[in-house]
Amino acid sequence: MNDGAAAVEPRDEMVDGSGGLRPHWRPLLGPLTGLGREALADRQRQLDAILAEEGKGSVLPGAEPLARRCDPIPFPIGAAEFAALEAGLVQRARVLSALLDNVYGQQRLLADGVLPPSIVYPNPAFLRPCSVAGPAGPGRRLHIYAAELIRGPDGGWRVLADRTADAAGTAYALQNRRALARVMPELFRLQPVRRLRPFFELWEDRLQRLAPSDAGTPGVALLTPGPADKLWFEHVLLARELACHLVEPADLTVRGGGLFLKTLRGLQPVHVLLRRQDGRTLDPLELEPGTLQGTPGLLDAMRAGRVQVVNDPGVGFAEAPALAAFLPAIARHLLGETLILPSVETLWMGDDAARRRVLPELARWRVRPALDGTMTPMVFARLSAANQARLRARITHRPEAFAVTALLPPSVAPCLGTQGFTPRPVVLRLFLLFDGRDWQAMPGGLARCLSDEEALAGRAPLHTLAKDVWVAAEEEAPRTGVAHLPVVPLLIRRPSGDLPSRVADDFFWLGRYLERLEGGARLLRLALSRLSGSDRAARDRVELESLLACLDRAELLERDAAHGLGADAAAATLLGVAAERGKLAGLLDDLSRLAERLRDRLTEEVYAQLSHGLQGLAALPVGGAAARPRNLEPLARATTNVLSFTAAMAGLAAENMVRGGGRLFLDLGRRIERGWAGAGALAQVLDQPGAAAQPARLEPGLRLALELCDSVITYRTRYVGVLQPAAVLDLVLADGGNPRSLAFQLVAARELLAALPEGQDPMLGMAAAELLAETQRLVADTEAALDQYAAAVLLPEPLRQIRSGIADLSDRIARQYFAVLPVAQSLGVEGEARRLRGMA
Amino acid sequence: MKYRVRHTTRYAYRRPVDLASHMLHLLPRPLPWQEVISDALAIEPAPGRRVDASDAFGNRTTWLFLDQPHLAFEVTSEAVVAVRCPDPPEDAATPPWEAIAASARQGGAEGAAAAEFTFPSRMAPASPTATAYAATSFPAGRPVLAGLRDLNQRIFREFTFRAGVTTLATPVSEVMHRREGVCQDFTHVMLSALRGLGLPARYTSGYIRTRPPPGRERRRGADQSHAWVGAWMGPAHGWVQLDPTNGVVVRDEHVVLAWGRDYGDISPLRGVILGGGAHSLQVSVDLDPL
Repeated sequence: MNDGAAAVEPRDEMVDGSGGLRPHWRPLLGPLTGLGREALADRQRQLDAILAEEGKGSVLPGAEPLARRCDPIPFPIGAAEFAALEAGLVQRARVLSALLDNVYGQQRLLADGVLPPSIVYPNPAFLRPCSVAGPAGPGRRLHIYAAELIRGPDGGWRVLADRTADAAGTAYALQNRRALARVMPELFRLQPVRRLRPFFELWEDRLQRLAPSDAGTPGVALLTPGPADKLWFEHVLLARELACHLVEPADLTVRGGGLFLKTLRGLQPVHVLLRRQDGRTLDPLELEPGTLQGTPGLLDAMRAGRVQVVNDPGVGFAEAPALAAFLPAIARHLLGETLILPSVETLWMGDDAARRRVLPELARWRVRPALDGTMTPMVFARLSAANQARLRARITHRPEAFAVTALLPPSVAPCLGTQGFTPRPVVLRLFLLFDGRDWQAMPGGLARCLSDEEALAGRAPLHTLAKDVWVAAEEEAPRTGVAHLPVVPLLIRRPSGDLPSRVADDFFWLGRYLERLEGGARLLRLALSRLSGSDRAARDRVELESLLACLDRAELLERDAAHGLGADAAAATLLGVAAERGKLAGLLDDLSRLAERLRDRLTEEVYAQLSHGLQGLAALPVGGAAARPRNLEPLARATTNVLSFTAAMAGLAAENMVRGGGRLFLDLGRRIERGWAGAGALAQVLDQPGAAAQPARLEPGLRLALELCDSVITYRTRYVGVLQPAAVLDLVLADGGNPRSLAFQLVAARELLAALPEGQDPMLGMAAAELLAETQRLVADTEAALDQYAAAVLLPEPLRQIRSGIADLSDRIARQYFAVLPVAQSLGVEGEARRLRGMA
Repeated sequence: MKYRVRHTTRYAYRRPVDLASHMLHLLPRPLPWQEVISDALAIEPAPGRRVDASDAFGNRTTWLFLDQPHLAFEVTSEAVVAVRCPDPPEDAATPPWEAIAASARQGGAEGAAAAEFTFPSRMAPASPTATAYAATSFPAGRPVLAGLRDLNQRIFREFTFRAGVTTLATPVSEVMHRREGVCQDFTHVMLSALRGLGLPARYTSGYIRTRPPPGRERRRGADQSHAWVGAWMGPAHGWVQLDPTNGVVVRDEHVVLAWGRDYGDISPLRGVILGGGAHSLQVSVDLDPL
C-alpha cells in the first residue's frame, strides 16, 4: 500500500503495543491454550457441523450453501468499555429516530439548512407516502437498530454503517452463543458473561405492548419474504425466539382497515408486524406499484392505528452513507447534543469544501454512492488508472451522488486458522431496541472476521466467520428484568384452526408428494424385479407392460420415454424416471421446497430427518437413460433408499407430530394421494387386454394388485394359494384393516375431515363417505356375481370414476381451506416491476 | 370563472373482483386562487371502508376498500369550483433561471419547499435529450419566466398531440424521439427538461375548459382529464402554471385536482384488485362553465 492512511498498523485486540496480554483476554487465553491445537481444531469442526446443520438453506434446489461459521474464540469486551459503547449507540439511535421523524414530518432540518435537499429527496428509501400523518410517538418509526463498528489504530470505536431497515443478525448472535456454550463449555467457567436471552424477552414483551390497548390478546407476526430470502433461517429462528407467527406476504390481508392473518378458522387480527421485508414492497396501493406481493391497504391500517409495523417502511432512509457527514450537525440541531460515538470519517462530495479537499487525494479514500448503502465501496487506490479517471470524472460531473469514507484499518482479533491463532480484521455489529422509554443494547452481538480485501473495502458480509461477542458481567446486581404484562390464565386450546391457510396447504402437499414418492418407488421396484434375471417369462412381460402403464398414469414417465418392452428399452425407461432431471428428481425438489417452507412448523428432529433424507436421495448416482451398459443395480438401491426414507418419515410423523394442525393436513394429503393413485393403478392392472373374452387373462392383474398393495403375504395367509377375484378385491379395495386398501384411505380421509374446523362446505366428509360406499359396493357386487372374473373385468371404469371423485375431493379441500386467491393486478398506474436500489 | 365538473370512471371486469383497494385523487384541491364550493363522490358498489385525508403533497385523497365480490366499479366525482388565477409577473421581473436553480439546490428557508421537485422521479426521469432540448430556452441570465414561456411554446409547436400512440408506460426518452403524444407525455417531457436544469417543476392534474367547433353543440362527456406543469419562479413569485399541450399560461380555464412529482403520485384512480380477469375502462368528463 502506498497511501498514507492505511499504512498505520491496525490495533491488536488481544495484545497491547508492548506485547502484553490485554486484561479482558486473560480469562479466555488460559482455557484456549490449555485445550491444545488438536482439540481446538476438533471444536472448530464441531461448531461448523452445528451451524451447517442449523443454517441449512441449501436444502432448496439450486440454493447456494451459506457459509456462516462461528469461531471458537469469542470476542470479549470489558464491562466499562461496553457501557461506553452502549451510551454512544443509545444516543445515536435517538439521533436517527429524531432524524426520521423530522424528514417524514415538518422537515425543519431542510428549512434550517442542516440537510441539503439532495441528501433527502433522491434517497431511494425516502418513501413519500410514509409522511402522511398517522399515530406519532417515540419509537414508532425506529424500533430495532444495528450499528457496524470498527476500532481504529488509536483504540477508539467508530461507526462504519447504521442499519435501520432490517437490523439483521440478532438471532444469529444468539445461535452462535448457544453453539459456543455447547462446544466450548470450559471458556464459560472462568468468565461471567452477560446473557443474551433477556434481550429477546424484552423484545417479545415490547412487541406485545405495541399492540393497541383495546386489542385483547395481541397478534404479533414476523413478516419474511420466504424461504428464497438469504436470511430466511434467521427469520425462522427469530420468530421462534420472539414466540410470534412467521408469515409471508400471501398470508396477510387487510379488511376494514385492519390487518389479518388468513387461517383455517378464518381471519385472525395481527396488531404488530415485525417486518423483515423491503419496506417498498409492503403496500402496492401506495408504494411500488409493480410489487404485487405486498398487502394493499397496509399503510391505511397503520395510519388508522390498527397495526404497528416495525420498523416503519420508510426508515431505510437513515442508511444512506452520506448522512454520516451530517450526523454531528443533526445531533446538535435536534437534540442539542454532541455526538458521542463518531462515524468513520465521511465526507459528502456535494459539499464544495469537502470536494476541494478530497479530489486531489482520492487515493486516501473509499468512494461510494451517497445514498445507497448496499453498494460495495470502491477503494480508489485499487482501481486501474483508466477506472480511476472514469470515477474522478463521474464525481466531478455529479458530486452530490458520492460520498467518501476514510480508509481506517479495523482492529484485528485472533481467529482459529489452520496454523493456530491468526489475527484477522473484525467488524462488530451491535443491536439496540427501543423499550418504550429508552434504547437498550443487546449485551453481545456479532464480530465478523474479514479478509484483508473485505476490510479494505469496508464490506462485511453477514454469512461469514463470526465471533460471539462477550460482554463481561458487572459485579453488582443484575439489571432489573422486564416488567411483565399482567398474567392472564391461558385458555386451554387444542385448535387446528389457527394454522395459516398457506401452511395447511403446504402440509397437504407435503403429504401428497411423500406418498407419490413412495408409490413411484414401489412401482419402480416391481418393474425392476421383472427385468432382473436372464430368463424372463412371458408372464413377466405382461406384468411389466402393466407396470409401465401404471408409471405412465402416475405421470412418472418422460414424455418421450422409449415404450418398447425389450429388456433394453424398458431398462432405459426406468432409468429415465430416476435420471438427474427425471420425474423423481423433480418430486424431490418439490419436497425440498415444501420442507423449507414448513421449517418453522416442524420440530428440529422432523426437519432434520426430512432434509437429510432428501439431500441423501438427491445425491444418489443412478446414471441416466443413456448410460451403457445398463446397470440397474444403483437404481434398485436408490429405490430401496426411497422406501426406507418414506417409511421413516411416516413413522416420525406418527410418533413425533402433535395430532391436529399441520399433522391433520399431512395425513389427509397422504390418504388422498394413496387413494387417488391406488384407484388409478388398480384400474390399470385390471385392464388386461383380451380379458373380456378370456377372463383368465385377468390373473396377472390380480397378482399385481396384491403386490401393489403390499398384500401378498396377507392374502397367502388368508387364502393359501387360491387366486379369486372377490377375495383379492376385498383385500385391496374394501378391507378397512389393510392400511393400503382404498377403503382404509377413504375412512381415514373421512375421519380427518371431521376433525377439521367446519367451513362453508360441510359436505366434504359426506363426499368421502360416498366414495367409500361405492368402493364397498364394487367388491360386494363382484362377490355376488355368478362369474367373478366376468364381474371383475368390468371394474376399471368404476375405479377410474372413483379416482376422479378423489381428485374432485382434493380440489374441494383446497378451495375450502387453502384460500386459493385470484391473481392481483394494478389499475390506473404504470405497474411495471423494477429493480429496487438500496435498502428500505 | 365558475365551473361544474363531473368525472365518471367505470371499470368492468370479466370475472368477479373479490377484494379491491383504491386510492383516488378526484376531489379538487382548495387553493388561494381556487375555491371549492361543493364536491361529492358517488361510488358503486358502496365501499366497505372509505377514508378521506391529505396525501404527502397536501392533495385531497380518498381511499376506498371493497370487500364484496363485484363485476363493475364506478366512481363519479362532482364539484363546483371558482377559479381566478392571479396574473403572472412580468417576465423581466423574475430572477435569472440560474438563481432559481441555485436556491432550490441549497434548500434552506427559501428553497426547501420547492427543492423536492427538482429531482428525477419514476415517470419524469433524468433525460439528457430533454435537458439539451430545454437548454435552448434558457441562455445564461435569462429571466426564469421568459425561459419557461419559451419552452412551453416550443413543446406546444414542435410536439404533435396524438391520442393512442403512447401509454402510461411510454418513457420520456421515447416521447422526445417521437415528438408526439398526449398531455401526460408533454408534461413529463417538460418536467424532465426543467429538472435537468435544476429548476423545480411539478406535475399538476385537473381539467381544462374545451370549446366546441364553431356552430356545433358541446358533446356530453367528451372532455378529458388534463395535465400540465407547475414551475417555480423563486420565493418572491412562487409557482406559475404552464400548459405545454395548449401552449398557454394557466389563467381561469383550468381546474386543479392535485399535484405531485409525476403522474404516479396523483393518478386520479389507482388500485389493486384481486381477481377480475380482463377489464375494460370507461371515462367521461364534463367541465361546464356556470
